[in-house]
Amino acid sequence: MAAVPIGTDAQLVVAPMLIVLATAVGTLLLGQRPQARAAVSVVGAVAYAVAVAAIDWYIVLAPDASGIATYQVGDWPAPFGITLVADGLSAFLLTMVATIGIASFVFSMRVLPELDRRSYYFPLFHFLMLGVTGAFLTGDLFNLFVWFEVMLMASYIFVAYYGGPQHTRAAFWYVALNLLASAVFLLGVGGLYATTGTLNMADLAQRLAEPAAYGIDPGPVVGLLALLLSVFAIKAGLVPFQFWIPTAYRAAPPQVTALLAGATKKVGIYAIIRLSFTVFAGAQLGVTLEAPGVGVVVSGDSPLAFVGSVLFVMAAASILVGGLGAVGRDSLEGVFAYSSIGQVGFIAIPVAIAATTVSPELRHIGIVAALVYALNHTLAKGLLFLSVGTVRTATGTSRLADLGGLARRSPPLAIAFFVAALSLVGIPPLSGFFGKFLVFDTAARAETVPVLVLLLVGSLLTIAYATRTWNRSFWGVQSSAVEDATPDSVQVAVLLGLAAAILAVGVGFEPIYRFADAAATAALDSDAYIDAVSPTDIESLDSSGGGHP
Amino acid sequence: MTALVLALVVGALFALGTFLLLRRDLIRVVWGLAIISQAANVYLLAMGGIAAGTFDSVPVLAGHGAGAPETADPLVQALVLTAIVIGFGMTAFALVLSYRVYEEHDTLDVSELGEHDG
Repeated sequence: MAAVPIGTDAQLVVAPMLIVLATAVGTLLLGQRPQARAAVSVVGAVAYAVAVAAIDWYIVLAPDASGIATYQVGDWPAPFGITLVADGLSAFLLTMVATIGIASFVFSMRVLPELDRRSYYFPLFHFLMLGVTGAFLTGDLFNLFVWFEVMLMASYIFVAYYGGPQHTRAAFWYVALNLLASAVFLLGVGGLYATTGTLNMADLAQRLAEPAAYGIDPGPVVGLLALLLSVFAIKAGLVPFQFWIPTAYRAAPPQVTALLAGATKKVGIYAIIRLSFTVFAGAQLGVTLEAPGVGVVVSGDSPLAFVGSVLFVMAAASILVGGLGAVGRDSLEGVFAYSSIGQVGFIAIPVAIAATTVSPELRHIGIVAALVYALNHTLAKGLLFLSVGTVRTATGTSRLADLGGLARRSPPLAIAFFVAALSLVGIPPLSGFFGKFLVFDTAARAETVPVLVLLLVGSLLTIAYATRTWNRSFWGVQSSAVEDATPDSVQVAVLLGLAAAILAVGVGFEPIYRFADAAATAALDSDAYIDAVSPTDIESLDSSGGGHP
Repeated sequence: MTALVLALVVGALFALGTFLLLRRDLIRVVWGLAIISQAANVYLLAMGGIAAGTFDSVPVLAGHGAGAPETADPLVQALVLTAIVIGFGMTAFALVLSYRVYEEHDTLDVSELGEHDG
């Protein structure tokens, strides 16, 4: 097979990473010159968005686009070097992250005018974006681990950012949990390497599809996948790995929380989709799990059967735990942090259905539903967390008991919040409607009544906590904190911009759907992925015929 | 023989790490995390094949090419090197963070830090 030529598409793949890396390092170096640092930050953030848009257009959406582009770092052919891959799935998630990233960035510029004091905020911000971008673009399992760490290191410091008692405590448990998760990630990666002899995802997919030909013992693969799945579930915050979310989200600055919920959570979802569907889907491994007294719990001839069943239980529990938890919280952050747990359940349910079904069509629809819902979650929840930031800068509190009558005080803020809340509930023509609709559609096509009931309960809980939050903080008598509050105009403008984006996605849903559709196609098409990466096969040079003991 | 020894070492490190992780003292928790990540590193190294140093015990060579007569797996060493660097940075950060926790709370006792959810 020929080496992949380094063309324009290939350079596009590294562009966002290089831009954000240069911005991060540049802002770090300009620590003593706040004005220059702010300027570099802004230029970098805009250039990043442009690079992501270019990937969207030239690689995925343009009429003659190839749909996938690769970059072999250092020109080492896969699977020996590190491969970067941009396809529909990566592009879709990158676009989401770039959108919420820009919003959060502008918001940060406004919240932190004392740029010289909070010296390391912007470098960290860009390093967080770098980690997320790297995780979406890498085609190598160990490299994925490295980008996870880059992302996490920045997020650790953000959780500890304010440095008070509850922030340091939250950060400590967040760090401890993620260090453990990293060790588990290494175990999974090492085990897969020993079993399959490769870490390149395309190579892995190719080899797992014909385990006998490559001398792979399929036994351990499902177990190792389970290890990885638990790591990604921690990042996504699925029950039973959700416990860190409320404390960490409350501790981090609100605009960072928007990013944690909108971007880093999606890295977990992305990794689950990418590994399950692009890499492990082709593996022909019989999976049977029997529970004593119940009989066969899981059975199927691919690891997906296992992933689907486990993910389904986690997602169902997330919807209930998140929804019920959100209804009883007493602060805005608390409500939205728990809501975030529940919403991830809504994203994971169609993924679980896609993993367990045998129908390719339903599998496709499931992934589309998950992606569209994820987009809505990023926009709506991002907007809600940012509005918490606005409320907190204006009134100094985010406790529901201390708020009230915000709608009269600042109608634009109220409108933005209302749009996001409605989108979360799933009212047409907002983006949330299509997300909810597709998720319900997937469940209906799978003909599983319990899932439909569960989704219905989850939606009712969403309505309950959205209404309660709205009533408590925006309606009613103005509290003393609200009376002399003046929300920052730039912050409110960011919120309105995001609200407009939610509306735009809902009204002009056709192109978004096409994009999500292309993303789902990319996620499910292992062959195209393998072709594009084209892992070099040196079987012919290998006198022993491949495989290892 | 080596395999058995390494397996025992990895097991012992994980056991020790878990034990420390469950202590009430934050510094011990950090030590536990450090030891667990070292255990993962030793495990990773062992995954490159620890039998005789020929090419067919090394996944990257057995799977993709032959001809190197006696060698250890270079890939796992590269991986472990990366993992060690990351682990080192994280341990340092966790220690600094525990000092900060101590400054804020005047204690390193987990049970006195209060509920971590609420």
